[in-house]
Amino acid sequence: MSCEAIVKEPAEVKVVAKDRAGIINPMYDCQPAGAQYAGIGVKDCIPLVHGGQGCSMFVRLLFAQHFKENFDIASTSLHEESAVFGGMGRLEQGVMVLARRYPDLRVIPIITTCSTEVIGDDIEGTITRCNLALKSEFPDRKIHLVPVHTPSFKGSQVSGYDECVKSLVKTIANKKGKATGKLNVFPGWVNPGDVILLKHYFKEMDVDATIFMDTEDFDSPMMPDKSIHTHGRTTVEDLQDSANAKATLSLARYEGANAGKYLQEEWEVPNHLLNTPYGIHNTDAMLQKISEITGKEIPESLVKERGLALDALADLAHMFFANKKVAIFGHPDLVLGLAQFCLEVELEPVLLLIGDDQGSKYKKDPRITELKNSVHFDMEIVHNTDLWDLERRIKNKEIELDLIMGHSKGRYIAIDANIPMVRVGFPTFDRAGLYRKPTIGYRGAMELGEAIANALFVHMEYTKNREWILNTW
Amino acid sequence: MMASNNEVLSNKVDELYGYVQERCLWQFYSRSWDRSENIDGVISKATDMLLGKTPETATPTERLHMADAKIMVDDFRSRFPWIKDAGEEEVRELMRELRERLTDIAITSSKNHELTHSLY
Amino acid sequence: MPMVLLKCDKDIPDRQKHIYLKAPDEDTRSYLPISNAATIPGTLSERGCAFCGAKLVIGGVLKDTIQMIHGPIGCAYDTWHTKRYPTDNGHFNMKYVWSTDMKESHIVFGGEKRLEKSMHEAFEQMPDIKRMIVYTTCPTALIGDDVKAVAKRVMAERPDVDVFTVECPGFSGVSQSKGHHVLNIGWINEKVATMEKEITSEYTMNFIGDFNIQGDTQLLQTYWDRLGIQVVSHFTGNGTYDDLRCMHQAKLNVVNCARSSGYIANELKKRYGIPRLDIDSWGFGYMAEGIRKICTFFGIEEKGEALIADEYAKWKPQLDWYKERLKGTKMAIWTGGPRLWHWTKSVEDDLGVQVVAMSSKFGHEEDFEKVIARGKEGTYYIDDGNELEFFEIIDLVKPDVIFTGPRVGELIKKLHIPYVNGHGYHNGPYMGFEGFVNLARDMYNAVHNPLTTLAGIDIRTPAQVQLKEAA
Repeated sequence: MSCEAIVKEPAEVKVVAKDRAGIINPMYDCQPAGAQYAGIGVKDCIPLVHGGQGCSMFVRLLFAQHFKENFDIASTSLHEESAVFGGMGRLEQGVMVLARRYPDLRVIPIITTCSTEVIGDDIEGTITRCNLALKSEFPDRKIHLVPVHTPSFKGSQVSGYDECVKSLVKTIANKKGKATGKLNVFPGWVNPGDVILLKHYFKEMDVDATIFMDTEDFDSPMMPDKSIHTHGRTTVEDLQDSANAKATLSLARYEGANAGKYLQEEWEVPNHLLNTPYGIHNTDAMLQKISEITGKEIPESLVKERGLALDALADLAHMFFANKKVAIFGHPDLVLGLAQFCLEVELEPVLLLIGDDQGSKYKKDPRITELKNSVHFDMEIVHNTDLWDLERRIKNKEIELDLIMGHSKGRYIAIDANIPMVRVGFPTFDRAGLYRKPTIGYRGAMELGEAIANALFVHMEYTKNREWILNTW
Repeated sequence: MMASNNEVLSNKVDELYGYVQERCLWQFYSRSWDRSENIDGVISKATDMLLGKTPETATPTERLHMADAKIMVDDFRSRFPWIKDAGEEEVRELMRELRERLTDIAITSSKNHELTHSLY
Repeated sequence: MPMVLLKCDKDIPDRQKHIYLKAPDEDTRSYLPISNAATIPGTLSERGCAFCGAKLVIGGVLKDTIQMIHGPIGCAYDTWHTKRYPTDNGHFNMKYVWSTDMKESHIVFGGEKRLEKSMHEAFEQMPDIKRMIVYTTCPTALIGDDVKAVAKRVMAERPDVDVFTVECPGFSGVSQSKGHHVLNIGWINEKVATMEKEITSEYTMNFIGDFNIQGDTQLLQTYWDRLGIQVVSHFTGNGTYDDLRCMHQAKLNVVNCARSSGYIANELKKRYGIPRLDIDSWGFGYMAEGIRKICTFFGIEEKGEALIADEYAKWKPQLDWYKERLKGTKMAIWTGGPRLWHWTKSVEDDLGVQVVAMSSKFGHEEDFEKVIARGKEGTYYIDDGNELEFFEIIDLVKPDVIFTGPRVGELIKKLHIPYVNGHGYHNGPYMGFEGFVNLARDMYNAVHNPLTTLAGIDIRTPAQVQLKEAA
């Protein structure tokens, strides 16, 4: 390491789009996949994907890879005839079959796909017919049929998730009840570990909050009575009462924030859009906002947790992280949030990669402005891009990286280039148990920092690169 | 009470048929004509071999039928010791019966409605 | 009633035609489950789509071919990092997937220009790769993009590349099976006999219907190498595009997966007179039988016997060790279709294992004829089984282990039943002699996993009761 002083001056932050039309190694799955992720977070709910069988089967596999769990998702099994003459009959049949065979079912998100959007099936009209049929056959049951329009040729799993969350809220939220004094929380596409962390914060602050969706049980046990707990905890009542809440916390601009916006516009529930709480500062901001909204004080316990994280990260930052070049890929909220976290611990996120076609929105993200104002190294933010863009830059030596942070489908880039990689985001199937860990909040920052450190340490050992430094660390 | 000749024969065919159903795949090819060709071909070669004759293998298909038949005949001999004592008449009758049963289950009475599709 | 209506199917009574419980003195002349029929919507069936059958199962296995998926992003994403078929050239087939990333404007105005551009880009980005398969998906089929015309244009501009197109939108057929069929027939119609390769042995064969899951193809190849047989092409495990263009040059077609690849074997026989030999390449005894048939065909029986003797010497003792301990184990098989009939008798003969229930996602009636011929009485044979049926069947047959996919495996884990990955294996390969020992080992370790017993203990109950309740 040279002893030259690193002069901190404003550097260049470029925001560009991928310069190819086609994709090699996609960053995300398509919209219906995101919609399904939102749908499985609801209790007594089975999403019904209206399209070919692959649209649901592949996604069930994807979720199983990430969580090592089975999730119930149904298909209308669009076949050739329906593709030509219309699939509404299949949709009606699917709804009735689900209702009859699953007596506890209360919610069916009806998720469209490219095929059914192209053939122009009238989802809302079919829902009206189904509601009549359901009422007639099950007079004592109420099953909420939720139209979710998520063709795959727009957006990605990110916007599909957002769309489904919004549709669930829109369809089910009503103002029949009295004010609950609760907070709605839309954390975005997070893991059970993140949900548990948020619940912990609310408990410590004595705040009554409802998390949409409550996916704590996606990490589910083997029980002696063989009961299966792998279900969302968000109930119909939770969704209904979202209109009666005191306020909404939208923690992910692109994942659920539109539901918060809707609740404000339709039901006058004040919406607070915050940076996704990656890192210390973003978590500080979130806790202070919660305190501000609810009037509850931040307890010492959380100050202590913050302190523990700072203490752990302080050991790592200027020793091991400073000047290390990082590439981050994944969902936009995650990528921008992690970039902010990286700066807190002296890592240099020189390359950020975001997929899908929503770049015109991402470009305006205030976090990018903030990054532009705070980085002292050149940074490139590529949107509408794929993982080949990362691989290519590495192969062509356009970039030299010390660390990659992203989801498991980028694993071969790291493996083949022999670059340490920390799995974060979705999916993380090639490591054990990551869904159980928080990545947001103080503990998330701490554990993520330690995961990064350990990845760097293992790399040092396997490449015999100054691994003796760790002898006395 | 002594089993009648027919019953004895029938039991023997049962054993042969049970073996084919349990171990062989050539009777279950894609179309009725494929099945028919295989059943007739393999049985024909097997009959020759059981009678100590060398089967004709002029075409590749005949060669394959012979290969399928050889394994079957070897297994018949090791699993069913009575077969070495069977005379020529009996062997022919057994194999005729076997061919009929296989044709019946795999073709004539099969509920597989793809068997008659003209295209693969 | 041999055709069974399960309780969970009372509202979809048609399912009775798909579930068979074999009784004594019955055969498929009287009872044969309906299969390859339309799926009932909303049942949580296990089926996938035709695109999966074409790309993920067959085409995507090739080790030197760009997989260009013409459609929106999901079909590509979903068929990437979901298989375990290595290659001897660095696993190119598992590392990359390509998409034309269709957007709304392409749906409205057509996607052919987008496809053409994507194809050129793909060849530019990877200049060493000269072969490509283009797949259509639901929307590109619906809007009628002429992918063949685009392929022709690209090939004209790039004389050193060759492109094959498959029209396999997800909604065609009723399952993966349609995709198999379309690819098979397309390939023989357009690509077989467009090239020839050097023949280096008088014994030549194509090995059809084996996709090198965890190295299956490579393991079997050690046998063919030893026997001096040249495998002209592998359809498609560890295979190359150009080898498959030479399929017409082989003297024999050996078929393992008759479901996915029987079609091309049939056509090769019809058009070139190449005989089709169906074998089971899973199964200890079956493998010996298969080798014997191949060697008899080629007149090299002695070589075959020598190979078999060596393999038996090496692996039979281990197999028998497992057989001793697995005798009486109850197994269920819930996979695509053919493994039902490949495994049901081989696990019984080679390992003493009893198969008590089987479910096929996309098998045809032919697959059920085979499995019912080979399978036991008292066993359930299910076409297109769904989730609630799985629970009920488990209650009825109480299997000790289920060979199925990882997602279903994670479901039954809650019921304290271990699974072995019947698709991509646990620790494979599973084909050949050594492979079946691997399968036995995984089954043994699964069945003897102490965690299963520990899961059944409720620590809130007093110790005495606990001892009675456990397992």
